[in-house]
Amino acid sequence: MISKKVILTGNFGVGKTSLFNRFVYDRFSDKYLTTIGVKVNKKVIGVDDEELSVLLWDIAGEVSQDKVPISYFLGAAGIIYVFDMSRPLTFKEIKKDLDYLTELLPDSVIKIVGNKKDLLTQEEMNHVLAELPMECNITTSAKTGENVEELFSQLGRLLLERA
Amino acid sequence: MTTEKSPQNLGNEPNKNEDLMLSMIREILLKEDREDIADIKAHFDDNEKLAERINPIIEIHVESMKRKFPREYQKQVERIVERKIKASQDELLDVVYPVMGKMVRKYVNHQFLSLKEGLDDRLGQLFSFKGWYNRIKAMVMGVDESEILLRDLDHTSIEEVFIIQRDSGLLMGHFSRNETIDRDVIAGMLTAIKSFVEDAFSKERQELELIDYGTYKIFIQSFHLYYISVILDGSISSAEKDALSAKLLDFAEKEMPNTLANDVSPSDYETLSMQLSKYF
Ligand SMILES: Nc1nc2c(ncn2[C@@H]2O[C@H](COP(=O)(O)OP(=O)(O)O)[C@@H](O)[C@H]2O)c(=O)[nH]1
Ligand SMILES: [Mg+2]
Repeated sequence: MISKKVILTGNFGVGKTSLFNRFVYDRFSDKYLTTIGVKVNKKVIGVDDEELSVLLWDIAGEVSQDKVPISYFLGAAGIIYVFDMSRPLTFKEIKKDLDYLTELLPDSVIKIVGNKKDLLTQEEMNHVLAELPMECNITTSAKTGENVEELFSQLGRLLLERA
Repeated sequence: MTTEKSPQNLGNEPNKNEDLMLSMIREILLKEDREDIADIKAHFDDNEKLAERINPIIEIHVESMKRKFPREYQKQVERIVERKIKASQDELLDVVYPVMGKMVRKYVNHQFLSLKEGLDDRLGQLFSFKGWYNRIKAMVMGVDESEILLRDLDHTSIEEVFIIQRDSGLLMGHFSRNETIDRDVIAGMLTAIKSFVEDAFSKERQELELIDYGTYKIFIQSFHLYYISVILDGSISSAEKDALSAKLLDFAEKEMPNTLANDVSPSDYETLSMQLSKYF
């Protein structure tokens, strides 16, 4: 099975760890997240009849991406960039963040994720997405689990296409 | 300089014969040229003479090439070398790393050895029984002392060996005495911790070498694109560390590929793990 590194990043409190915990069975204590700012876990994703082993790095949210040690990003084949659709502050710098990440990891695939969709009406959500300076690839709720599996299988497909 | 057909008695017998006159004129007009040609022919027929004349000219040219080359071609050569190095920087570094490591280790070993010899002289019998035992065993068996050290270590405490991509933390190969669960995740976390420590505590480029974790020790040998991590149960002396390091450098030099992809394929994983099990 092919293995790939995927990073989960975005502002503080947008729901990265919640998505991570929804997706994988958690083996390491959250102590790692608070002390070293990252936690690694693994999930095998099935795409059609292929399988892919994803090493998911949950990176503790910082307000700015350039505060995160670069080494946490390096070697990633995939990026999941999460923002909180209910808090505009978390996507104010989205363009700057993504420019930074794509420059750092030019060959990686990116998923832009609008999380906490359970907190918004469809109308509010449409409004938020229309204002976003780029396309949001998928909207999720770590609380209800909506689209979480879908997010990872879409990413798995993209990664396998690149392999 | 001799000429083959040197005209004789030219001025001595004036002749009214036109033919003779003509030949005389020809002779006069062409004499020098003929001599030159003969001279040249003689030179060409005689290799030594030819060399005598030509060598200095070639030497002058070579000298001037030597002088001019750096000035005229330096830029181009530099550019070519620079491009070549850039294009294969990673491969180059991973080829150089084990060799450099070996060189440094050899030097340090040598220093230690002389220090030890000095001590030996003074301390005589005071060296540990184990040390002597190993040395005698080494002498009798004709193996390296460090190899024996490592073999002792082997039986007691090497639990696992991980080969891990430096950036991604992906596991490239693994050896374990027991079945380990979640070794991918451990490799990832180890990489994260290593990055964190190096990021937080080292101002210059310095690599984490040993992590103490309860009774376990995590020994790390860093290369440019990957690192090898050995999990030991128990303590490790500096001589043992040295022997282990030597073994890892040797492994890297002989078994590791010079390029890395952004993922790890199952076949590469199998191959490296196989090789690891031969070494440990
Ligand atoms: N309502 C709702 N709350 C969420 C969702 N995802 C995360 N949260 C909450 O948002 C807070 C921050 O989540 P966390 O996963 O720690 O964010 P992180 O800093 O990006 O890792 C927590 O209180 C979560 O319970 C979601 O989809 N819906
Ligand atoms: Mg978090």
